[in-house]
Amino acid sequence: MIVRVLDIGIAGLLLGGIYALIAVGLTLQYGVARVLNIAHGEFIMIGAFITWSLYIIFGINPLLSLAICGPAIFTIGFLLYRTLFRRLRISSASPAAFEGSSMLACFGLLFIIQNLAILIWGADIKGYSYLAFPIRFWGQTFAANRLITLGFALAIGLIFYFFLTWSRLGKAIRAAAQDAAAAELMGINIDQVLALCFGFGALMAGLGGTLLSMSYKIQPTMGLEYTVIALIVIVLGGLGSIPGSFIGGLLLGLVGSIVTYIQPGLSLVAYYLLFMLLLLAKPTGILGK
Amino acid sequence: MKSKVLPGILAFAVAALFMVSSAEAKRRPAKDKIVIGQAIALSGPLAGGVAIAGGPIYELWVEEVNKNGGIYVKEYGKKLPVVLKRYDDKSDIGTMTNLLEKLILNDKVDFVFPPWGTAWLYAAAQIANKYHYILIGGPGGALKLKELKLPYFFQVLNFSETQAPGLAGIFKEVGVKSVAVIYRGDLHGVEYGDAMVPYFKKKGIEVKMKKSYPPGIKDLSPLLKEAKSLGVDAFCAASYPDGGMLLTGQSIELGINFNAFFITVTPFSPNLYRDTFGVDVVEGVMGGGAWNAKSSPGAKELVDKYVSRFGVEPDYWGALYYWSSLQHFQQAIEKAGTLDQKKIRDVMATSTFQTALGPFWYDKNRYFVNHPGEIGQWQKGVFEVIDPGEKRTAPPLYPKPPWPKKKK
Repeated sequence: MIVRVLDIGIAGLLLGGIYALIAVGLTLQYGVARVLNIAHGEFIMIGAFITWSLYIIFGINPLLSLAICGPAIFTIGFLLYRTLFRRLRISSASPAAFEGSSMLACFGLLFIIQNLAILIWGADIKGYSYLAFPIRFWGQTFAANRLITLGFALAIGLIFYFFLTWSRLGKAIRAAAQDAAAAELMGINIDQVLALCFGFGALMAGLGGTLLSMSYKIQPTMGLEYTVIALIVIVLGGLGSIPGSFIGGLLLGLVGSIVTYIQPGLSLVAYYLLFMLLLLAKPTGILGK
Repeated sequence: MKSKVLPGILAFAVAALFMVSSAEAKRRPAKDKIVIGQAIALSGPLAGGVAIAGGPIYELWVEEVNKNGGIYVKEYGKKLPVVLKRYDDKSDIGTMTNLLEKLILNDKVDFVFPPWGTAWLYAAAQIANKYHYILIGGPGGALKLKELKLPYFFQVLNFSETQAPGLAGIFKEVGVKSVAVIYRGDLHGVEYGDAMVPYFKKKGIEVKMKKSYPPGIKDLSPLLKEAKSLGVDAFCAASYPDGGMLLTGQSIELGINFNAFFITVTPFSPNLYRDTFGVDVVEGVMGGGAWNAKSSPGAKELVDKYVSRFGVEPDYWGALYYWSSLQHFQQAIEKAGTLDQKKIRDVMATSTFQTALGPFWYDKNRYFVNHPGEIGQWQKGVFEVIDPGEKRTAPPLYPKPPWPKKKK
């Protein structure tokens, strides 16, 4: 029985780790930079496809791709904010107007990125096998690539958490999350900080995509389902709370795994049910204020 | 008074002239091409399926027809080239039905081709039938569709009705005692899931597990582990490419082996399935289908044409079926000598024509029955037809060899 529980628990964490990573990314973009990035999943997809291309064409180890994809996608995100969203923010009459217009801009981005990917890579499903062998412990078997994925997701999450807590820039990001206007008055270069946040959000998505591609098949239209999951998780964890998103992601993975064990047909329903129950019981989310 | 009458007469004269000339145009229509409309998933979750199974066959056929100058239609006394007009349904049934009606009502296309997927076909068949447009089924098929008895609908692909007994027969032959069945929670999955169970029972094979899973699920390992713990001989899944790839990937990763491993949709694809996992890895995997280059001389020719045009092999379930149905369709148009739907329909429903797979005809329900095969199995990189009977291209490999151990 205990073995069974461990098995289900670990299986849940394996999926939850990825959810946590991409949700932290969206929290940085929505919770701090105030851009409800509907195209978040497209950055995941780009990360996955870059990794696939590097592996298939140049034989580059997917884990090494983390170091290539990360900076590349960070740069894309950073530049996008500096050009597109910064202009939108300045020209918007109110923060609410900015949220609306930036979300519409993200919808546009979604279609542009997705169709570019279809033009480059074609619409069909792609995949590769990497570390696809079992590892046994505690009398149970787990897939090596998923364990690695979980390890990296947790490590990236922790590193980022320490960065936020200890570094000067991290403190500036947290200040901007609490109150952007006040932070600016305290001498923080808010444009720079928000652009960095958006860049870091894209980075998380890109890394998530790289990790995903190790155990899932990928296609240019895969992004939206992850965007939806990330949205559920950030509301679940509490809007703007980075540890909240991380815990929320792991929790969602666990719930999915438990329900799949009982009745697989209901596994996706469970996500939304959990989401609705939490909104009723604690509308601010797990760690929301 | 006069000033009002004159413009009136003039307007009437112009209108009359216009009507006469348009009637003239109707009597002798200047036809220089045949336009065929198709609303199909070019983006969205199904786009991957379209690209590996079926989609390119329609393009190839149009190119092939035009290379020969087009289809000869006696009514016009000449060969008419074919134009394929495609709209993207974004993998959404509602969008597909709107686009199909737009093709028929606004664009006034001459013919329509089918969308991709069983549930999509189910909706499209009823719309085409409503407007008395011939619809030749492509990827997809369901018993529920047969119950509708639509006179303008022709079913081409085989489905659970013939594949489930085929699979049960093979299992009986090789000595499978128990099975686990999982299925995608949609029209395709539910139908196959329900169809397989009674045939297994009839052959005395015990069904120890039967569970559904939702499209979009991200982890199927609990189902694999449960089936393994029940100690079944065979694992059967009715899934689409997303689930089929996930399921295979996870059972390799977890080192879970069954004596027989069957997935309805996915293994038939040489590019997506065989080449992603590797020839030695997929050895012994069974899938819905089936045909290969050995099935007929026309089949070999199709493989060669497809490879030289697209650089990859065609899928080994439907490609030959669709290709041959289009060859049948072309000959029916030429025999009818017109583009009239009703007349062509009548020729199609009653005539046998030679095609790539051999003689092609529809039964009284307008269902194609001369299938090249029902169940395929990967053996040394070839998708062998393993049905009992004369269509078999190789005997079944049982038990399936375990997933190879990772060298590194």
